[in-house]
Amino acid sequence: MESENRLTHRTIDNVAISYTGIFDTEILSVLAKEIEGKLSADDKINKKVFKIFIELAQNISFYSLERELNADGSDMGVGTMIIRDFGKYFEFSTGNKTTMENIIPVMEKCDNINSMDHDKLREYRRLQRNMPAGAKGGGNIGLIQVALTANSKIEYSLIKCDDGAYFYIVSVRISKEPDPEEERPRRRARERVRE
Amino acid sequence: MELEDIVIEGSHKNFFTPSVNFNAKTGICELSGESFLEDTQEFYKPLIDWLDEYTSKIKKPIAFIIKLTYFNTSTSRCILDLLNVLKDYEDDGGDVTVNWHYDENDSDMEEDIEDYMIDTGLNINIIPF
Repeated sequence: MESENRLTHRTIDNVAISYTGIFDTEILSVLAKEIEGKLSADDKINKKVFKIFIELAQNISFYSLERELNADGSDMGVGTMIIRDFGKYFEFSTGNKTTMENIIPVMEKCDNINSMDHDKLREYRRLQRNMPAGAKGGGNIGLIQVALTANSKIEYSLIKCDDGAYFYIVSVRISKEPDPEEERPRRRARERVRE
Repeated sequence: MELEDIVIEGSHKNFFTPSVNFNAKTGICELSGESFLEDTQEFYKPLIDWLDEYTSKIKKPIAFIIKLTYFNTSTSRCILDLLNVLKDYEDDGGDVTVNWHYDENDSDMEEDIEDYMIDTGLNINIIPF
């Protein structure tokens, strides 16, 4: 029993905020308040994590294979969110059940996003924003926003569940330190605008 | 038929509704607060329709003021639609001013505004506060 407890402790160490269950609007609101108000003393970092949370949590609400009815009788996705504090950065992760068929295109999108630098990602976001919502290939804008906001690669993994479904985990790191590179692309962009 | 003003008081509950103040007499249209809505299209369609009506019938100068501190990606498409109406009006000879106020610590927002300038070709006055 004791060893099990230790194992659990080790598996989820550094946890700042975690939640598992239905991702309906009530819960989203509670979690959003926790992140915005209490995650760290730095409002700028809290806001970044909040923006990432909104985009990824909505994906669970809409697309998780595991569904539950909330108090209003609406069918909402079930999943997990964990924010871990590693001192110099936060790691934000969400997980939800899915099928291989549904998740392959999402993983391809992540690979594509991870191959781009900051300026390329901004270009790609502009391209996606100009496509009508729901258009083919137009579903990436949330993930692009996550990569831009976190300024990190999107990591993902799949775990096979006993019932034949897959548990899909997506993680990003949000640095707590000011990024020395941040100023440079911004200046370049401003110059482009003026041209 | 006179074009009626749009006045919506913003709220920060389960969803975040932005404050809207579109004034047909003065041509001053303000969008502020936070935007994360249950049905983004449903909220923004009347605003886009209003701008269409104003720019095609009233045809007076328009000052569009954005003071959003947060918007999700779904909202970002609707903002593009609003700005595109303004750009079309400007191309037709309309008098358009766009002032976008943002928190100077929010470099992501500044980049976002710059990208809207590239996308629409509108000159947006970027005003830090």
